[in-house]
Amino acid sequence: MKPFEVMDCALLTRMSGIPPAINLRELRDRLAVCGENVLFHHYCETTLRTTFDNPDYRNDFAVWAKLYLGDRVLAERLGILDPYSFPSMEELRAATLEVIDERLSELVMVPWARPGDEFFFMESTMVVFDTGARITNPNRLGPFIRKMTNSSVYYHFLEARRRTPDGKDDFSAWLGKCGEPYRPHADALSTIDYYFNSLGYLRREIARVLAYVKGASK
Amino acid sequence: MRKLLSSYEGIVGSAVLGQLRQLGEKLAGASIVHVNSTREGGGVAEILDWMVPLMNDAGLSASWEVIHGEPRFFEITKAFHNGLQGHTVPLTMKDWKIYEDVNEKNFERLRPALEEANFVVIHDPQPAGLLKLCDRRKGKWIWRAHIDISRPFRPVWKGLRPFVEKYDASIFSMAEFAQLLPHPQFLVPPSIDPLSEKNRELEPSEIEAVRTEFGLDPSRPLIVQVSRFDRFKDPVGVIAAYRLVRKVAPVQLVLAGGGATDDPEGKAVLEDVQEAAGNDPDIHVLLLPSGAHRTINALQRLADVIVQKSTREGFGLTVTEGMWKGKPVVGGDTGGIRLQVVNHHTGFLVNTPEGAAHRIRYFLHNRNRIDEMGSIAREVVRENFLLTRHLRDYLTLMLVMAKDPRERLLKV
Repeated sequence: MKPFEVMDCALLTRMSGIPPAINLRELRDRLAVCGENVLFHHYCETTLRTTFDNPDYRNDFAVWAKLYLGDRVLAERLGILDPYSFPSMEELRAATLEVIDERLSELVMVPWARPGDEFFFMESTMVVFDTGARITNPNRLGPFIRKMTNSSVYYHFLEARRRTPDGKDDFSAWLGKCGEPYRPHADALSTIDYYFNSLGYLRREIARVLAYVKGASK
Repeated sequence: MRKLLSSYEGIVGSAVLGQLRQLGEKLAGASIVHVNSTREGGGVAEILDWMVPLMNDAGLSASWEVIHGEPRFFEITKAFHNGLQGHTVPLTMKDWKIYEDVNEKNFERLRPALEEANFVVIHDPQPAGLLKLCDRRKGKWIWRAHIDISRPFRPVWKGLRPFVEKYDASIFSMAEFAQLLPHPQFLVPPSIDPLSEKNRELEPSEIEAVRTEFGLDPSRPLIVQVSRFDRFKDPVGVIAAYRLVRKVAPVQLVLAGGGATDDPEGKAVLEDVQEAAGNDPDIHVLLLPSGAHRTINALQRLADVIVQKSTREGFGLTVTEGMWKGKPVVGGDTGGIRLQVVNHHTGFLVNTPEGAAHRIRYFLHNRNRIDEMGSIAREVVRENFLLTRHLRDYLTLMLVMAKDPRERLLKV
């Protein structure tokens, strides 16, 4: 069995070059044409960015709708979109535009933000590196995860879903290859509600779930 | 004393330091030259003072150069600084010529280091003219803007833009502070050093000595705002908030700042503040010397609630400092304060003296929330706004610049 190779990553955010949006119509039009990486950044990379890690909503569009457009209805509809549940970024884009178009059709005026409160479109580069750490015993995965950096957890448990062809996280994929005794471990990881929590919480939760399954299987 | 990464292990943990060392290994031996305009005083010098030794400790070959110039050069670049932040400033063609000449003279002195470096980071506008002169440069040149240049006085930006647009990349603290430029613009928020005099742990006796020195009553709640006397920091608004609270609770207020005497505008604001304070013995307006870091540190630790009621703000590192001391912050809903203060989690964002008074009263009536939110605030700073994160961003940036700055995922 191939050992689990522990990777880590660091995120560097940059301006996307797309002009900021001052109202919902501009947000819609720019979302329709922005690169997939912009969409991915505002939906998925928010947990890794330098910011408070437990906001009302996980994606920046919902947060902006609530705080700066003052449209709580739109914020709630955008906030529940789970980017990892869409097979592709294009489908996530279509769903986002659908929510915004529906909201625009309900309103008599286009909601707008004050100058200085515009939505800034960003994207990022993720630098990935091998930590050199290897896990050979599947029973050691949970305890090891407890000591991992948040960014390592992000790379293996969240980013992997976009990176790998089958959309699986790296931990489940590796446990799945470790033989039948570890299938319950892999299955248990799939029960974690991973999108709506901070990385710190997620790290503890993954370790807890693995410890629970290990205990139950004894 | 030379700063080492290991000094921070007890604060950020070994995993974070391990990550920095691994990123450093990927850049081992790379030379990086930072250039700014002063070795002492000001936020940029404070950053470079720790960043250069820590980069060296991480395995790079980092150095720090300072440009020299006549007083007139620094008057001109001070005008750039103000103009970039939106103030109307008079600049002549002769001023621009002096700017270029001083950059030229400095370039001759710095030429070998700048030509050979793998990375050159030019901080703020003063040395920005160096790039144009360095035809035989081998490395990547990055312009670091430490201020908000989103709404500049156009003639200043028009004059400076040709110097900065030729850089390979630029760095801004927040998206809201940036200008559109034809190269990658990275976002790296500033940070604080938890071991600096301003932020390190203090002995209880030292904190109590500061309380005694300023005649603060230990039995009554204390509100503290630390910032220079500047209209945008709204110290008069803080006094108005204090008076609203004072009607129902026996609070004390400290407004601590420094460096106002040589600044006509600062002096006028200080006079307004003193007039607004009147003879109230519970309002302490403290004009502190520039090196009074430990006093500021102690005052922030003595506070029940930290206030930073700015109406316009850069990043707001005094907010970060207050949060690091485990205090919730009542902050103005502007600039970088928004990135740090999250309603009901790390403090409250407010827009008026009434709003500030309301939130201060909330804390006084819910003392447990001071500790709860203060504790979250400290963790937010630990995770996001300590120098280790800042260093990680710089190391990442160099790795990205060495490969392809527009790639989404880079394996190194």
